[in-house]
Formats: sequence, C-alpha cells, structure tokens
Amino acid sequence: MHLTINDGVYDVVVPGHERLSTTLRETLGLTGTKVACGRGECGACTVLLDGTPAYACMTLTAACRDRVITTIEGAGAARAGHALRDAFIAHDAVQCGFCTPGQIVAATALLTRNAHPTENDVVRAMSGNLCRCGTYPKIIRAVLAAAQQASDPGSV
Amino acid sequence: MNEPGPQPRRFATTKVEVEGRERTTIVELPSLALAPWDAAADLTVVGRSTPRVDALEKVSGHARFTVDLRRPGMLHAAILRAPVASGRVVRLDAAPAMALPGVRGTLTLRDVSGITVDGVQLFDQVIHYAGQPLLALCADSDDLARRALRAILLEVEPAEHAVTASQALADGAPRVHAAGNTSRNSPRVYTRGDVEAGLRGADVAITREYRTPVALHTALEPHGAVAEWSGDHVTVWESTQGIFNTRADLAAALRVPLSRIRVITDYMGGGFGAKNGASHATYIAALLASRLQRPVRCVLDREAEQTDAGNRPATIQRVTIGAMRDGTLVAIDLDATIALGIGGWQAGPARIYRELYRCPNVRTAETFVFTNMGAMASFRAPGHVEGAFGLESAMDAVARTLDLDPLEVRRRNYAERDQDKDRPYSAKNLDRCYAEGSERFGWHEKRTAKRVTGGRVRRGIGMASLTWGAGGGPPAYASVRLNADGSADVLTGTQDLGTGSRTVLAQIAAEQLGARIQEVRTILGDTERLPYAPNSWGSITTASVGPAVRVAAEEARRLLLDAAANFLDATPGDLSTRDGVVHLNGSDRTLTFREVCERLGNVMIMGHGSRGPNPDRVAMSAFGAQFAEVEVDIETGRVRVLQVVAAHDSGRIINPTLAESQLEGGIIQGLGYALFEERVVDERRGLALNPTMHDYKIPTIADVPKIDAFFVGGPDAAANHTGAKGLAEPPIIGIAAAVANAVTDALGVEVSQIPLTPWRLCALLHGSA
Repeated sequence: MHLTINDGVYDVVVPGHERLSTTLRETLGLTGTKVACGRGECGACTVLLDGTPAYACMTLTAACRDRVITTIEGAGAARAGHALRDAFIAHDAVQCGFCTPGQIVAATALLTRNAHPTENDVVRAMSGNLCRCGTYPKIIRAVLAAAQQASDPGSV
Repeated sequence: MNEPGPQPRRFATTKVEVEGRERTTIVELPSLALAPWDAAADLTVVGRSTPRVDALEKVSGHARFTVDLRRPGMLHAAILRAPVASGRVVRLDAAPAMALPGVRGTLTLRDVSGITVDGVQLFDQVIHYAGQPLLALCADSDDLARRALRAILLEVEPAEHAVTASQALADGAPRVHAAGNTSRNSPRVYTRGDVEAGLRGADVAITREYRTPVALHTALEPHGAVAEWSGDHVTVWESTQGIFNTRADLAAALRVPLSRIRVITDYMGGGFGAKNGASHATYIAALLASRLQRPVRCVLDREAEQTDAGNRPATIQRVTIGAMRDGTLVAIDLDATIALGIGGWQAGPARIYRELYRCPNVRTAETFVFTNMGAMASFRAPGHVEGAFGLESAMDAVARTLDLDPLEVRRRNYAERDQDKDRPYSAKNLDRCYAEGSERFGWHEKRTAKRVTGGRVRRGIGMASLTWGAGGGPPAYASVRLNADGSADVLTGTQDLGTGSRTVLAQIAAEQLGARIQEVRTILGDTERLPYAPNSWGSITTASVGPAVRVAAEEARRLLLDAAANFLDATPGDLSTRDGVVHLNGSDRTLTFREVCERLGNVMIMGHGSRGPNPDRVAMSAFGAQFAEVEVDIETGRVRVLQVVAAHDSGRIINPTLAESQLEGGIIQGLGYALFEERVVDERRGLALNPTMHDYKIPTIADVPKIDAFFVGGPDAAANHTGAKGLAEPPIIGIAAAVANAVTDALGVEVSQIPLTPWRLCALLHGSA
C-alpha cells in the first residue's frame, strides 16, 4: 500500500494488524516518533493524520491508506512547526527529549488550528502528552511564544 | 641526555575511617592546581543561560535513543515473566515457540547460571515476584517475539506470597527469602546522645505515624539494550546513567575482560536512578547476540518497566519528637519499616532525620522488609524523599502543638554543622533559602491574613526544608582537544540524562579555555573511547566531572599559548585568550584559535584533567526551602496546588535556565508523589493493579501550578574549584511535605499518608466508605 508521510509517498507491505508506530519506526526508519507505553496512554507516539493528532501506537497502518501522515521529521516544514522548533530550543522546553517529538507534533496541530491560543488552550491541547522530566512549564511558555512568532506577519 | 628532575607525586595513600574500621585509599592529585572560581571570579560563559547544545537534535526527532537503534540483521528479544508472586515453575517448554517461523533462539537458566540481579538468579525457576523473568527468546521482529512468548508452555505451582510489609511481617508469613523476611542488619540503629533523657526533659512530645507509597520512576524511555559482538568483543548500546558500571557488571557476569566490552549511551530518555548498571535486558541481549552471532535488541515493554524496573520503597515511619516550649528540639526518635521488594539496597528515611536539624539526642531504627515484589532501585533522592515527608510533617505537628510559626521552628533548629558525621559544612545558605523563599511566597502575609472559614473550598499553606549530599568527588577524568579548525572537544565518559551535562561541561571548558561556547562540543557516553567518569547518580556529575574538565581545559590553554607564543614571537606569559582569540597583552596583535591550529596542522593541542580529592572532614551539601499553597475541595477531596516557591542552595550555578528546569522537574515529580502516584497491589492475588501509564498517574501538563524556583547563596569555592555542587535531586525532596502541610493547614485535620488522593481525603474528612 501507499502511505503519504510528510513530503513523500512510501510503498509498504504491512500485515493488517501492524500499528503505524511499528511501520514508521521499524520499516521506514522514521524513529523520531517514540513508543513509551504502546497503549495510547502517554502521547509519545503522537503523529498527525490529516492534521489531527493521533497516537501512532493505537492506529493501524492499514487504516492510513488515504490519510496524510505528519511525523516529527516533517513537522518542521510547517510555519507553526518551525516556530515551535525555535521556541522549544530558546525556552529550554526539552530535557531528556524522549517526549519532545510528540509534544511538538501535538503543538503543531494546536497552532495550525488556533493561531492565538490562551494558556488554557495550550494546556488542554497538550494534556495528552506526558513528560516525566517535568518540562511542562517551559513547554507552555514555548508554545505560547511560538504562537506569537508564527502569527507575526513580519517574522521569517 | 638529561634525566628529568624529580616529578611531584600524583598518587598518595590516605587512611580513611569507614564504619569504625581503617581503610587505605588512594588519593590522586590533578596535574594542575587551579585557583577556585570564587564569588569574585569574573566569568563570562559559566553562569550564562546558554541554550542546551543538544536541543536541536531532540526537537527535530533526530536524536537517537537506545530504543531507536537498528543494526543490520538485528533480532528482537522478548522475556517470559512469572504470572504469580511466589511459587515455582513446574513445566517450561519453549519448543512450540521455537517451531514458529522467525524465532531464532532462546535463553534459559542453564545459559545464565551465576548471573544475578538484585540477589535473584536470572531465570530462577523458583518464583520470587510476579514479573520475574523466566526465559527469553528472540525473533526477527518484536511482534514475532511477543507472539512467540504466548506459544511457550508454562505451568507454575503458586505458593503463598507476601507482597506488602504488613503481609511479610505478619505471624506465620511465608518466607520471601530463605534467611527471612527482614534484612540481616535489621533493625539498623543509629543513636547520638540520649533520646530517653531528651524526652524526659522535653516540654512537649508528639508521636505520629506516617506512610509513604511505592512510587515508580516511569521514565518515558524503558530499560533496554542492543548488543553486537565482533569476534570476542561486544558493543552494548544501553539506556543507562552509568556506562562504566554497566560495563563492569557485564564483564563480571560474562567473565570477560573489561577491555572487551564497550558500552555506549548517547541520548537516553530518563533514568531518575533506575538505570545504574546492567539490567536483565543487558545480559539477555549480550548472551543471545553471542550465541546467534547477530545483534540483539532487548527492550522492556511498559508493563515490565512498571513492574520489574525498580521502585521507591514504601515506608511506615513512627516518629516521636520532643521539644521545648520555644520550639528547640531535644529528641528525635524514628522507627521505620521499609518494604524493599525482593532486593535492592538499603535506602532508608532515617538519614535526613539525623542531618537536617540541630538536635543532640537522636535515635533512628530502620527495618528493611523483603516482599514478593520487584526490587527497589534508587529513585531521585532515595530515602530522603520518604524521610522528609515524615520529618517535615512531624515538625509541623510540633509547631501546631506549640502554636509557633512552622518556619520559625525550622529556624530555631538550624544545624550549623553536619551532626550526622560531626563536621562543618563547606557552605550552608539554608537561612537564605528560608528568608528569600518565604518572602517571595508571602509566607508571613498569608499566615496572618484573615482565613475564610467554612465554604467548600479551603486554602492552606505549608513548607518544608531539605538537604542532600551534593559534593561529588573523584575519580573523574576529561580531555580537551583542539581540532584543526580551532574548535574544541570535551571528551569524558559521563552521561546526559536530560540533565544538561553536555551543555554545562562545554561551558566550563569554554570559560577556562577562553573559547566561544559555540565552538566547544562535549563528547560523552562511550567506555571505549573516553576516559572514566562516574555514574550520573547522587547529583554528582557537575561537581565531579566539571573540575576535571576545567583542569583539562587549562592544560589545553597553556599548550595553546605555548604554541601561539612562537607565532607571535612572544612568551606564553604575555598572552591571554578571550572569545576564541589569543591576544598579545598590551598590543593589538591577535591570532584566532583557528589560525593557531591551522598553522599547527597535525600537531595536536590536547589537555588532560582529573578530579582532585575533596576537602577533608567537610560536608558538602545542598539545601532548600519549599513553600506550597493549596486549595482543597472538601466535598470531592480534590487538592489543587496553586503555587510552589522553592529556594535552593547548590553553590555556583553553571547554567541558570537549565538548572531551573531541573528544579521545576523535581518539583513536579514531588507533586506527583504528593498527590497522585502510588503502586496499588492486590494483596490477595499478589499482583500490582496499575502497571500502566494511565493508572499509575504521573503529573500531566494540566496539573502544574505556578512554580517560582530559584537559587540563593553563590559559589561554594571550598567544595571544589568550580564552586558548583549537585542540584538535580534536592528539588523533589520537600514537596510532598510542603503540600501535605498545606493541606493540613487548609483542612484543620492532619494528613499522614500520601498520596493525597481524593478518596483518601474524603475518607479522612467524612469517614471511610
């Protein structure tokens, strides 16, 4: 089957029961999407399906035939994703980095949907992404800063 | 040819008293003695909030963790685990699994004889805890390996179990270990002064019992290893906080020389103390890879990670404190029970009772209990987090009894010396933590403000103080090498768990070299290519490796000036470095590092450094004061933490933003421990009920209060010549107590057990259901 992931189309053969997280990581070598629980409980595997956040570990690859998949590897291409990348670095919104791809992908979806989120909006949108290092305060700051940056008409 | 003159000795021996016995230890002096970076030091790179140097890799998804590694021909291992808490294997037949296509090999007890983890023989056919590994197999894919496990024929004969301390200590309890259910040295007793006399002379005495739960590290990246042999040499990529420890464990288990094992950790997804040496996955991957001559990956699934990858032990602390009317302590008496699980080391709550406050009469007794559950493992400030909850709750009980300000009671019992070992502190700024923390929190205003009584939502405030050993020490080594383009590499076999050591060590090197931080890179995490550094545990990395890096950078700087002096027709003493440029003092003649290195070509500039000895008989500690404000809904029992103010003293802060991130992270973990986190066990079935990330509830982004966390005190130049001490563990220590004290304040009813879940508070307020 053909999978549309980030900027490209991939031709894969997958068993019907295979999860998208497995296809991405094992077959396609796109290891940016992490698996921390494999049960849809932590958000580390967050990807976008047609722009909507989904847990790749709870998504069957076979169900993605006609969807556009965005992973962390492609998230930087969008204006929001690019601003998020810069903001996460500038605001130290990363510690060990394992939850970071999922955080950024979820935040990308938020900013694409809502260019001027309040802090409450950010907290709600990101509440499906767990971080054990406790980077949350800086993640909130980074997402709000990225929103500013991305919506500023004068910025790059 | 001239003989070199007598060289100063680098190694000396010293006699150290360890628990009443004299031991000879070796002391190594670094090649250079550097003037300490004290408060007057004018530093331009150290002390700045340089962005984390590895942030780009992490935000782009390109940072490769152990679980991301794919080696050609790699196989995937899966572990069969015991389904009962106690008993024995009656039948174990892996033949049906081996018959499945894609299954390549198994590993059984016969293959691992003599390999133990936490005292338990790997693949022991006697079952000591649910989740205990019984066998491993490997297959072409993770999916195939897990399905193959289900084909294995396993029959067990269950036996009576004891999965909690109360079960294990009950009359007629089944034996968890042949030698009994408590450790040989239980109770482990410490005394100073005369507690009975102290209590007799006290104006008041309070006695309380406090309970803390089993907490689970829950790092996002599980334990895992990838092993690959090449001839008689194995490379192991491991998610670990200690590459050299892991190598040593593996060498001992495989009976292979250290030099034939290479352990690598580049990025790792959190440890918090659970990843300090070889684990089951390490041995399984290494042995299967050796047998099959193919790389093997063994990574724990989340259920295994929450069941058999370490935990913070549960405690019961019976505390009696005697005090005078003015709040000064005259007696502290602790009797604690600690449920270790099947094994692990004896991290107990007693030590903080002995250290934190001035008190001449102290007795602590700790009973370590074995249970049929997974072994404990160090978890961020092991023992102190549990003990701080008991001690700081009890201190508040003393304050309430005497109708004194809880903060004032802490102040009146300020310990100027480390009383546990009777020696001075290198520096102690806990008083400033109290002063600045309470001021930023508005402690006095909030205490004296009119309280709203009645109503569904009650507000309260609480505080706690804390201490933690933070001096680090030798041995630790680094090299600093200049590349042909004038950039510099810091080479050291340490780890970065997300703590930021890559960045902090580059800053130290850049400062000493006079280089631009953008031109300095840290290379870490490889036992074969890099010099020894200790495990990243105990908050020791910056204080242990930092000074070694500084010495190495200084050696490199001197060599650089020596070389540059030739090109500038001067002597090295006429030269200085700044921002990657060599200056001829008193002139405008300069050479960039790049220019010097280009002229040198393949001639190398490389400095080496070691960590020198710690000052004698001095305690190097971190301190803190943490304040919390909460709201409690008395109908639902829900606690909302409104704000936390935390003032910390850890000497010189190399990178304020990264250090603040450590404080925030520790505080948030403390909030989880206070409010949500506990392993729940079905005592009848002997099984944990919540080994998932949904049911073992770590804080989410929605649970975070306003946090104001900062440092006071300045450099501790007496501790080591960088002035820096550890800061990673302290921030978790006092939070549960501060929150619990705030909840007690809000409710007017004492809480004595954490986590403060809604059902627990409802039971407290309205009686059990």
